[in-house]
Amino acid sequence: MSSNMASSSAGSGDSSAARKNSKRPKCIDYSSALLSLTLLDSKFTQQELPACKPILTPGWVISTFLIVSVIFIPLGVISLFASQDVVEIVDRYDNDCIPAPARTNKVAFIQGAAPKSCNRTLTVTKRMKQPIYVYYQLENFYQNHRRYVKSRSDSQLRSPKFENQISACKPEDDAGGKPIVPCGLIAWSLFNDTYTLSRNNTPLAVNKKGIAWKSDKEHKFGNKVFPKNFQKGNLTGGATLNPDIPLSEQEDLIVWMRTAALPTFRKLYGKIETDLENGDTIQVTLQNNYNTYSFSGKKKLVLSTTSWLGGKNDFLGIAYLTVGGICFFLALAFTIMYLVKPRRLGDPSYLSWNRNPGGGR
Amino acid sequence: MVRSSSLNGDSSASHRRTPSRTVTLGHIQPQAPSCRTVYCNDRDSNMPVRFKGNSISTTKYNVFTFLPKGLFEQFRRIANIYFLGISCLSLTPISPVSPITNVAPLSMVLLVSLIKEAFEDWKRFQNDMSINNSTVEILQGQQWVPIPWRKLQVGDIVKIKQDAFFPADILFLSSTNPDGICYVETANLDGETNLKIRKALERTWDYLVPEKASEFKGEIQCEQPNNSLYTFTGNLVVQKQTLPLSPDQLLLRGCSLRNTEYIVGAVVFTGHETKVMMNAMNAPSKRSTLEKKLDKLIITIFCVLLTMCLIGAIGCSIVTDREDLYLGLQKSDWEYHNRLAIGFFTFFTLITLFSSIIPISLYVSIEMIKFIQSTQFINRDLNMYHAETNTPALARTSNLNEELGQVEYIFSDKTGTLTRNLMEFFKCSIGGISYGCGVTEIERGIAQRNGLKVHEEERSTGAIREKGFNFDDPRLMRGAWRNEPDPDLCKELFRCLAICHTVLPEGDESPEKIVYQAASPDEAALVTAAKNFGFFFYRRTPTTVYVRESHVEKMGKIQDVAYEILNVLEFNSTRKRQSVVCRYPDGRLVLYCKGADNVIFERLADGMDDVRKVTREHLEHFGSSGLRTLCLAYRDLDPETYNSWNEKFIQAKSALRDREKKLDEVAELIEKDLTLIGSTAIEDKLQEGVPNCIETLSRAGIKIWVLTGDKMETAINIAYACNLINNDMKQFIISSETDAIREAEERGDQVEIARVIKEEVKKELRKSLEEAQLYMHTVAGPKLALVIDGKCLMYALDPSLRVTLLSLSLNCTSVVCCRVSPLQKAQVTSLVRKGAKKITLSIGDGANDVSMIQAAHVGIGISGMEGMQAVMASDFAIAQFRFLTDLLLVHGRWSYLRICKVVMYFFYKNLTFTLTQFWFTFRTGFSGQRFYDDWFQSLYNVFFTALPVIVLGLFEKDVSASLSKRYPELYREGIRNSFFKWRVVAVWATSAVYQSLVCYLFVTTSSFGAINSSGKIFGLWDVSTLVFTCLVIAVNVRILLMSNSITRWHYITVGGSILAWLVFAFVYCGITTSRDRNENVYFVIYVLMSTFYFYFTLLLIPAVSLLGDFIYQWVERWFYPYDYQIVQEIHRHESDASKADHLEIENELTPQEARSYAISQLPRELSKHTGFAFDSPGYESFFASQLGVYAPQKAWDVARRASMRSRPKVPKK
Repeated sequence: MSSNMASSSAGSGDSSAARKNSKRPKCIDYSSALLSLTLLDSKFTQQELPACKPILTPGWVISTFLIVSVIFIPLGVISLFASQDVVEIVDRYDNDCIPAPARTNKVAFIQGAAPKSCNRTLTVTKRMKQPIYVYYQLENFYQNHRRYVKSRSDSQLRSPKFENQISACKPEDDAGGKPIVPCGLIAWSLFNDTYTLSRNNTPLAVNKKGIAWKSDKEHKFGNKVFPKNFQKGNLTGGATLNPDIPLSEQEDLIVWMRTAALPTFRKLYGKIETDLENGDTIQVTLQNNYNTYSFSGKKKLVLSTTSWLGGKNDFLGIAYLTVGGICFFLALAFTIMYLVKPRRLGDPSYLSWNRNPGGGR
Repeated sequence: MVRSSSLNGDSSASHRRTPSRTVTLGHIQPQAPSCRTVYCNDRDSNMPVRFKGNSISTTKYNVFTFLPKGLFEQFRRIANIYFLGISCLSLTPISPVSPITNVAPLSMVLLVSLIKEAFEDWKRFQNDMSINNSTVEILQGQQWVPIPWRKLQVGDIVKIKQDAFFPADILFLSSTNPDGICYVETANLDGETNLKIRKALERTWDYLVPEKASEFKGEIQCEQPNNSLYTFTGNLVVQKQTLPLSPDQLLLRGCSLRNTEYIVGAVVFTGHETKVMMNAMNAPSKRSTLEKKLDKLIITIFCVLLTMCLIGAIGCSIVTDREDLYLGLQKSDWEYHNRLAIGFFTFFTLITLFSSIIPISLYVSIEMIKFIQSTQFINRDLNMYHAETNTPALARTSNLNEELGQVEYIFSDKTGTLTRNLMEFFKCSIGGISYGCGVTEIERGIAQRNGLKVHEEERSTGAIREKGFNFDDPRLMRGAWRNEPDPDLCKELFRCLAICHTVLPEGDESPEKIVYQAASPDEAALVTAAKNFGFFFYRRTPTTVYVRESHVEKMGKIQDVAYEILNVLEFNSTRKRQSVVCRYPDGRLVLYCKGADNVIFERLADGMDDVRKVTREHLEHFGSSGLRTLCLAYRDLDPETYNSWNEKFIQAKSALRDREKKLDEVAELIEKDLTLIGSTAIEDKLQEGVPNCIETLSRAGIKIWVLTGDKMETAINIAYACNLINNDMKQFIISSETDAIREAEERGDQVEIARVIKEEVKKELRKSLEEAQLYMHTVAGPKLALVIDGKCLMYALDPSLRVTLLSLSLNCTSVVCCRVSPLQKAQVTSLVRKGAKKITLSIGDGANDVSMIQAAHVGIGISGMEGMQAVMASDFAIAQFRFLTDLLLVHGRWSYLRICKVVMYFFYKNLTFTLTQFWFTFRTGFSGQRFYDDWFQSLYNVFFTALPVIVLGLFEKDVSASLSKRYPELYREGIRNSFFKWRVVAVWATSAVYQSLVCYLFVTTSSFGAINSSGKIFGLWDVSTLVFTCLVIAVNVRILLMSNSITRWHYITVGGSILAWLVFAFVYCGITTSRDRNENVYFVIYVLMSTFYFYFTLLLIPAVSLLGDFIYQWVERWFYPYDYQIVQEIHRHESDASKADHLEIENELTPQEARSYAISQLPRELSKHTGFAFDSPGYESFFASQLGVYAPQKAWDVARRASMRSRPKVPKK
């Protein structure tokens, strides 16, 4: 309180304003407030900025629904058509590629030295135009596990200068005191099943170039970084890398190291650059090396064409169609409801104080 | 020379008179620690003691303490502490996110808050500087030299000119006034606007001119600085004489000098040691109810957070398996040692991950919004700007804006708040003839109700109209009274008005410029009336009253007459009258008396029944017109009677015991056999627009209680006038003026009185409550009103009766408490606040309302009128009661709506964001992997979603201002708290769950396969960035969906936020640094944008997530509309501009008409009462004594200033 008194005394100190004005920090000195009143009598301070006041009137609601359905249904149809064009062959092989006697202890088999070669036959049910993409699909593999995701060294991958930056890579950081390149759990667990495809006993070439994103290849993985000490640690890992090829050319690794968002994921293995005809049978000779058995992960081989929208993806089309349909239905339902039992807009009898007059007490 | 020697003789004589005192005071150790010694006019001697300087500092910080202290203040907020903890956690390896995620928003929030603090402190600093640099003249050598206040030192001799403020606590030495007195205004200190008199010691009267003053070498021994405003003890040692000092000689900092050319004094206390600064106490800061509820919401969110973390922790400890080879788990990993450890560490991991569920920027955003609301909107609202007094509304705190939207009970002071405290002389009755042609609004109302046309009488040209005088009758003006049937009686009336009062004239002695200082505005009005009748009272000395009389002996003759005032028999509430005995210049002795009709009539001489009867009729008529009446009478005294009486009077006056009582008894002896002159009628003007405002507020569901110090009759009168009570209401009157109580009081035993009153009150309360409940059960029972007076209230507030009182008063539509003390006002307020848990608002204008203003949730002061005391204690200050409509119905309601929406939106956007993260956790084996990049997460709150919500908080309007006032019922949504219920929270939470699920599931499901024609696959960061983009769009566009009023700022900020995100993404994803950072998102946005898939999802997902809310909003509006939505629909075709006109047309009654209508409903028996209402001057001290505060009663010292202080008006441009 007193500070104000003191301040007001100052106010009188200058003779022009002998008025008592409180000069508390949050108070506006009256005379200056007056000044601002005249100067800043704006639409802002009077809270009268021009504004649009949308009210959800039946007209608005119905037209919104209609507009949404008019836009969404065609989009749904388009994307559904795109998805329908895609031919996809999926073959799960993790179980079948274990010889029947070994199936009681798959882990022992996969970790053992027995030959792991396995033959699969796929039948093309619909003509597939090139390019046909070969994917492997893993399930129940948590590539997005916190411990897994962070176990890499991006700077090491990019440039040989940072070879020793392996602090994040534990436990796959060094082998006998020497840094592993590429270090970390991700690289270490590189997928190592291989597929050899043939059609009617003529080999089908699988092109393994151009399967990684260009940006990864050019910026994240250096062309002067060569694998070192890889897979020489205490743990048995996945695939090995050719130490003579720089990382930027090791597209398998690059694809693998763009970690997946979900525990079920596909990764591009290669592409076939010839058309496959309806009824073709494709023999796949695969080396079933990768151990997903210890955590009961599934492995699948996928052959797929793409449309302009990508791979087989009915979800988008269905979602668009559903939403569009719902909107159309709502528009219709609301129109009918409005016609059958209209509520007058702005009916004062809906006001709460008109509904129960005594309520105001 | 002669004069000064005689003065010296005087002072030595006075010194001789008190030798014993000198001796006793001599015992005080001058150097004792409890005592300070000041050598006047001798800076060197004062040096060793190192008194504090006179510069003051009200700043909270200085350059060095700012950071530590400011940060400490910030971390007193629980949310900031929480984020500090989270930030620390995120520094540890268990955190999935880098510290930046939590540190960045926290530092942003801290930065904004600190900048705000610094800004406010800077303003305080500037204020201090301007105070410290104002100048005062001090004595240096032999002349006055102006120096800034801050350089003033203890012991300096200063000169203060008229109207200046005292720069420090000053010992009063001499004054230009004779008798060494000066007048002081203390309005800044205690809000009292009366002038106080201070008197210098006779010994020092001389030190006025610099030559003389430089000789003054005194030594002041006084108490140490303390905060008691009314005490001061000390000695002045001048030339080896020790003179005792009293508060009369102390001029306090903060007061100003009045009616005195200049004074000279010695500085005793400076700067922070002045009494006023020692009293410095910050008003308790209030928090709004909504904010307290917000805390509950935050706690709930925190519980949700813990639950989420617990689920994750349990999940993780179950799922994590050492067989997951690719994780490379080993025995040596301590955090994966066993399931318990896994769970334990995961829990903390998840807390850091989900920390964004608590909206860190919520508080600072709300603060910012409220700050702008109060400084830009409330303070600058032209609807609340009072042009006459040049006063805009003033929000003194920005904490309580939304509280204004939820007020259910208003406690209002009467005088100065509902009424203008502007008394105007309106009519009079002399010798049985009624004068005055004016028609009061009440009469006009009655006439209108009866269908009569009121012919507004032409005011005679040149009729005098000034403050306090609204009377016109050609029969009396300009000496015309000489032609009336009884001119002598007229003369007596005018003289009575001019002489019998306690008014002090101030300013020039000319009729135009004089200002009357009166204990009550009634008195000022009466004296003003006398002036206009040609009896101009222009000067008063303690013994004489000077009146410039016109037309007395013959028309046009003006003569100055000095009346010797022999005795003054003061007004008090028991006497209800005031008398003056005066001697004419020709020796005639007259007693003039004015007072309440019943008191005067009892004391009239016999045999004037006709006049008496006619006058009583007039009084009744005046009373029913809502006027305040006084009866005037006189008595000629013969010298013998007078002299014998005067002896008794002097005896009584010097009595040490029961002086009051004895004086009253003596007065009775002379105030008899009076001759009735007539009566006066004064109009107590209501504030502009009060009845209308009250009507509107009560339609808004707000209950208005009037708490007044006035008498019951006056209070009821005003309550009728204000529409608070009408004849349809059932009134419960609990008064202490019953026979039983009076009887007990006459017996005089205090304990007995208390017991009787308590019993009576208890009986009455019980009876009323039973009756009230009976009415409440009937369907169409009348509305109820309670009138209770202060004495009864004292007992009713007793714990045993409190509940009864509360339940009774809550059933009543209006409550009037009269004759209540300030303390009781506060008690009643907190009774409702604490007992009924309702949101209360107090409004008042005077110092006696301060406690009430502080006790309520929201305190409002009326500014621009009386002292600043109420304003100083208030949270908001407005110039007029009627501005409450705007303040509550417009600003309050909007603020409430806005803050609710802002809070809900914050809650929603953070929940949505965190939930996507939560859903993701389920698919990462509960490992606590973050979904979003660190920077995305940290900037989400402070950058990508921050601005639109602030725009929402500033510009959201459901209905326009004029509609808010036209449909006051809309306000009830605030009282019911419709927008901040758990139900609303649940709706928003559902919306958050739905949207987060849509955003997360749609993206993750559809992005599984190849996403472009070259068969490429998305990685984790592509997916998360896509989800984030969808989220930012959906959350920002949601603002538009929830806005009722969309300005271009909405578009700019919403568009800007989305754009900001994209720009940020382009930049952030486009750069690589040489540092080892996880280049997760490198090029991600470009990859995304190279696919068609991206655009397809970008349209689908925000649309689907908002469609849910759209449908909900539509269903709600269509089937369960809020009131405001209906109002919107009714007025959907109107533009804002046209609405203002409608308001005028719709309300058929103008404020005046409405008021007159209300008054016309005055009940019969009350209209019979004669309207006597004259606030006694002692009524301030009545309160003081009830409060236990000692307030000295002084006859002539205390002259209460009239309501309107003579402030220099700023010339209108």
